[in-house]
Amino acid sequence: MNAVPQARPAAALELTGVSKSFGGAAALREVGFSLLPGEIHALAGINGAGKSTLVKIMSGALSPDGGHLLIAGHAHSALTPRRARALGVSIVHQHRTLVPQLTVAENLFLGRLPTRAGRVDWRAARAQAARALADLGVEVPATAIAADLGPAEQTLVEIAREIQVGGRVLILDEPTATLGGADAARVHRIVRTLSARGIAVVYISHHLDEVLDLADRVTVLRDGRHVLTASTAETDLPSLVRAMTGDRLAETRPRTARTPGRAVLELRDLSAGPRLAGLSLTVRAGEVVAVLGCAGDGQTQLFPLLSGLRRPSGGDVLVGGGRVPPGSVTAALAAGLRCVTGERLTYGLVPGLTVDENLDLTGRGLRRPWSVRWRRMHREAAGARTRFGVTTIRPDPPVATLSGGNQQKVLLARWLDRDVTACLLEEPTNGVDVAAKADIHRLIDGLAARGAAVLLASADVDEVLRLADRVLVVRSGRTVADLPADRVSRDDLVSLSVGGTAS
Amino acid sequence: MTTAAHPRRRTIGAALPPGLVRHGGVLGVLLLIAVFTTSRSDVFLTAPNLLNVSRQIAVVAVLAAGLTLLMTAGGIDFSLGAIAAVTHGVTAQLIVAGVADWAAVALALTLGAAIGLVNGTVVTVFRVTPFVATLASSTILTGVALLVIGGQSISIGEHLGGLGFGELLGVPVLIVIAAAVCLAVGLAMRWSAFGRNAFAIGGNENAARLSGIPVVRTKLLLYTLGGLLAGLGGVMLVARLGAASPGTGGLHLELTVVAAVVIGGTALHGGSGTLVGTILGVLLLGVVANSLNLLQINPYFQDVALGTVLMVAAVANHLRSRRH
Repeated sequence: MNAVPQARPAAALELTGVSKSFGGAAALREVGFSLLPGEIHALAGINGAGKSTLVKIMSGALSPDGGHLLIAGHAHSALTPRRARALGVSIVHQHRTLVPQLTVAENLFLGRLPTRAGRVDWRAARAQAARALADLGVEVPATAIAADLGPAEQTLVEIAREIQVGGRVLILDEPTATLGGADAARVHRIVRTLSARGIAVVYISHHLDEVLDLADRVTVLRDGRHVLTASTAETDLPSLVRAMTGDRLAETRPRTARTPGRAVLELRDLSAGPRLAGLSLTVRAGEVVAVLGCAGDGQTQLFPLLSGLRRPSGGDVLVGGGRVPPGSVTAALAAGLRCVTGERLTYGLVPGLTVDENLDLTGRGLRRPWSVRWRRMHREAAGARTRFGVTTIRPDPPVATLSGGNQQKVLLARWLDRDVTACLLEEPTNGVDVAAKADIHRLIDGLAARGAAVLLASADVDEVLRLADRVLVVRSGRTVADLPADRVSRDDLVSLSVGGTAS
Repeated sequence: MTTAAHPRRRTIGAALPPGLVRHGGVLGVLLLIAVFTTSRSDVFLTAPNLLNVSRQIAVVAVLAAGLTLLMTAGGIDFSLGAIAAVTHGVTAQLIVAGVADWAAVALALTLGAAIGLVNGTVVTVFRVTPFVATLASSTILTGVALLVIGGQSISIGEHLGGLGFGELLGVPVLIVIAAAVCLAVGLAMRWSAFGRNAFAIGGNENAARLSGIPVVRTKLLLYTLGGLLAGLGGVMLVARLGAASPGTGGLHLELTVVAAVVIGGTALHGGSGTLVGTILGVLLLGVVANSLNLLQINPYFQDVALGTVLMVAAVANHLRSRRH
């Protein structure tokens, strides 16, 4: 197994037969991946295909259940993030990790500031930082405070930092997901510079046109399996899309014609600074309306605004014709809005409490009883669990011990197992397995069938096509399209959200 | 799919306290020390000594009960000992000034609750970190406590004797009060929406708020309750000692209370805690202090022992929570 074929040039990084599963759900099955020095190798796949698991294994954050990992021709079994970094494998995450209060120079040399006679040599630090940045063509002053930089500049500084510590393999996890065109171009430029210097880059992106333009080769994953590795010169967008979505009928939704009723949920000119600009929409009873955007775009503002966590900078939310007072969780709940977060462990569940008590929380918040009646809680929870297909091994375990899919079902059951007039669902299948995803889609169909007005905030094109009657596409916070879902194709939606021209 | 429908084994209610298994470690150490001390001292297992120990820990138990609930909700209050010091001085001064005993007690309790409410307001409305807010108020109150009694010992004579030395069916009244408080808080943590909301807030405050749980009101109530119980503790102190004097209550009492709660396994970051654990923590600290006395070990070792037990318990708790 360790014999590396001699004919090829030694790969900077190579994975063979790598598998990984989480609590029985296989995230990766026998995946192979090779990365040549100086190569830009894109990793593509729809949400949940296993991209992030794969790069976590490459960077030492996860250890594989099976398979081999070779860095510069040497096998490594017990990799940690620290060891991987020492071996020259670094990862730059989508969420930026600079220390915000420190200067660019300090961030570049974090923990390794140049010293003279035991004191930090600030002048040398600034000079070295400026040189390192100029060397990579990063136009950021070394004395700037990291928090004052724009998102693109932060990413560039992070890349420079990783190169500075001797990175030979750089993994970029959706570096342009939240960036506009000009900023994305700056990232592309530095990636090409690195490649020209022999540094290998693993580039994760949802934007296929970007992948085809930038990368030398592309590997597509689907459902944890390796589907395709091809030179970008020999492939095109349709074949990549086919590889990503596969032969399975892309979850066509049961076309029972919904007949929407009266208008229930209205957003009028809803704004949140530059991140959401004047979004207007109406959701009628029994209708699913989706707001689609790339990861991190304007649709992510809907949850904090509608749930009352944050006050909009302008515009109104109306439920059943009545204006919901902004910035108040209690008012949003009283108006009948049910907002289900896409970040279940941050804003949704109380991990340490049991499944049944988590299911009971919303009712307790709404009815404000004095006492907790456990027996009745367990009885009611049993019904909700059955209706939402929550399966557990022990009778009532802490919700933290459940799989992602089951946790998500608990969250949905908590909010939607009663009469719902209007709800916002944010990424309702975020980080759940395929089976649970299908279950959840059916649950949402049922919700609309019972007459709820469903607003969906999502970055997942397939999910939007599967669920929605109407789609609003937002790009950089602005609404760029408002279309009936049955008159729009997958490629159109992808193009609209990433800013290309409809093909 | 089948498991969801399983008949649920009921281990709650009148069955074993849910924490007894979980707190095997503390219980074991407690028994070990008790056995060791018994073997070295004839006095330890005598009724007068045990009554003495329990009178001493009654105050700690009352304060610790309030703190357990507060810490479960992710809060902390470092001013409980100082509140007790202030209220014990105020009670003494009121009684000396001729106010009726019951009125003095009522005023002291009200004062404690009011101070707690101020703490809660600073924490919730002004969003000051609980650690800093209550450290500040603790410092203020330590000074106030000395000002109230003018830095002198104030004797209350025979007043509050029934409280300090009385017995109810053969059990000291102080212990009856502590037991009642612990029972009430324990029940609230299991059966009241208020108590369960504390768990939810400590476990995930965002999720609790988004569920419509009144987070701010619950926190205000928790700090007020903590202050009220600290006020009660102050009254119990002055009743037991028959006088208010400098150095009673305050920082040392506070540290003992925090230590007892942490030893009992309540998470400092909130979300989990049991009153059974806290009671065991209180007992352990009381027995350790008593043993050091009986074995005639240099009293300076008291603090060394307190700190050591706390650190060992904290490390043990960390290891336990990491295993889950």
